[in-house]
Amino acid sequence: MSRLSRPRRLSISALGLAGFIALWEASLRAGLLPGNLVPLPSTIPGVFWAEIADGIWFEVVRSSLSHYAVGVAIGSLLGITVGVGAALVPTFNALHAWLARLLRPIPPLAWIPFAIIWFGVNPTAAAFIISIGVFWINYFTSYSAVRAVDPGYDEVAIAFGQQRFVDRLAKVSLPAAAPGILGGLRAGLGQGWMTVVAAELFGIPGIGQRMMEASGLLATDIVVVYMLTIAGLYALFDALFMVVQRRMLRWQP
Amino acid sequence: MATLSDTPPQDDAPTAVLRAKGVSLGFSGTTILQGVDLDVQPREFVAVVGASGVGKSTLLRALAGLISPRKGKVEIPAGNSPDTRAWSMVFQAPRLFPWRRVRANVELGLEGLSLSKAQRRERALEPLALVGLDEYAERWPHTLSGGQQQRVGIARALAVRPRVLFMDEPFSALDAITRRRLQNELVDLRRRSDAAIVFVTHDIEEAVLLADRVLVLGGGTDDAPAGMRDVIEVALPQEERREQAGFTECVQRIEGLIGTSAADDAP
Repeated sequence: MSRLSRPRRLSISALGLAGFIALWEASLRAGLLPGNLVPLPSTIPGVFWAEIADGIWFEVVRSSLSHYAVGVAIGSLLGITVGVGAALVPTFNALHAWLARLLRPIPPLAWIPFAIIWFGVNPTAAAFIISIGVFWINYFTSYSAVRAVDPGYDEVAIAFGQQRFVDRLAKVSLPAAAPGILGGLRAGLGQGWMTVVAAELFGIPGIGQRMMEASGLLATDIVVVYMLTIAGLYALFDALFMVVQRRMLRWQP
Repeated sequence: MATLSDTPPQDDAPTAVLRAKGVSLGFSGTTILQGVDLDVQPREFVAVVGASGVGKSTLLRALAGLISPRKGKVEIPAGNSPDTRAWSMVFQAPRLFPWRRVRANVELGLEGLSLSKAQRRERALEPLALVGLDEYAERWPHTLSGGQQQRVGIARALAVRPRVLFMDEPFSALDAITRRRLQNELVDLRRRSDAAIVFVTHDIEEAVLLADRVLVLGGGTDDAPAGMRDVIEVALPQEERREQAGFTECVQRIEGLIGTSAADDAP
């Protein structure tokens, strides 16, 4: 298969996206799609502007971001800590292995009833639900990353006087496992964003709640505005994270 | 002459820097090597040779204290001082930490000693200059060739100014030209370092080329563990040793000792 040059690839991708939007617009205008169920793409920028002008967009985005930030921070921190601990301390690993196997398959959204009972319909409940999904991703990737570290590095550390557990943790396990741990963090950022909207569909203020309100009024254009907002914010976070990741892993070939 | 250690000799009569008495080694119930006695004098170079699987690298790790011998005693009487370590090691693969720059790799053994950051830096640059890589101090390991990485491994081991430097087949993974060059550099380094060297190799010529004494391991069978076959003094001048009349004779003598080992036939 022949490879495409970068400009050519980018222009074909842009053409694909533009073609999809044009087809969408044309199908609605031709009456092939029901206009009350699917919004006209050309109306989206105006609706987006109205949401911004009313201050609603900033308010719901700020609210979602605060659940997201707290949930991702707690989930990542705990996931990495427990995952690294399990990889390095066999007794701790054995102690919670069955518990982890039992809890792991439960999707974050299945915790919504407990979240509401324990915290009420409020931002803490959303942050709790987000943190669960993020926790598991970070837990498993950190565990695998630390387990995969070449034991030869530990031998070098010991041979050069770094016998203490904390020294080897800081000087070998964490830096050697950093590529895997950062990969888990990145996946968690994505997973968290998916859960944030789902958690808010139950009435916790934020993007999800605004989408539910809009769909109740059949304001499909507003729903699409927030779908695009989610995609745009995720792309932004992911790009920022990639910059940090590249900087942290600049030692890699 | 510049040396890597400021420590004056302890007394006039040489006392062993490493003593091993009746050392036996094994895994999970099986003894693979037994009855190793070895005293290493200050600045002495002892090579350990033997067929594959005879337990050379395991012996080296036991001498360093990285693993416990099944029987016997190993002692490095000097111990650590506030700014030096009693021993250090050069591994078969350089095993540099890829996430540390070259200088930080060399500083590894200095961390935890009573040295300021500036002193650590200085102490790392010194052996790097000795192996000709001081200009590479701020590079990442992956940008170095295999030979350069192994030189950094040697610098890392010298930085702690060890009494005993253990080297585990340090040149075996390198191409022939680089190996020859590093062997010559090691002869040169010896003159500038106070460390005694215990050097494991499967290359008998390398052992005779570098060492003052060669400890020959062999004799292992399925039923009986290997042991010391002999300790050969290499009474040849260090200069142009390969060209000396007794060189080949010494190599052949050791080959003969190892050749009788059943371990040679091991898969």
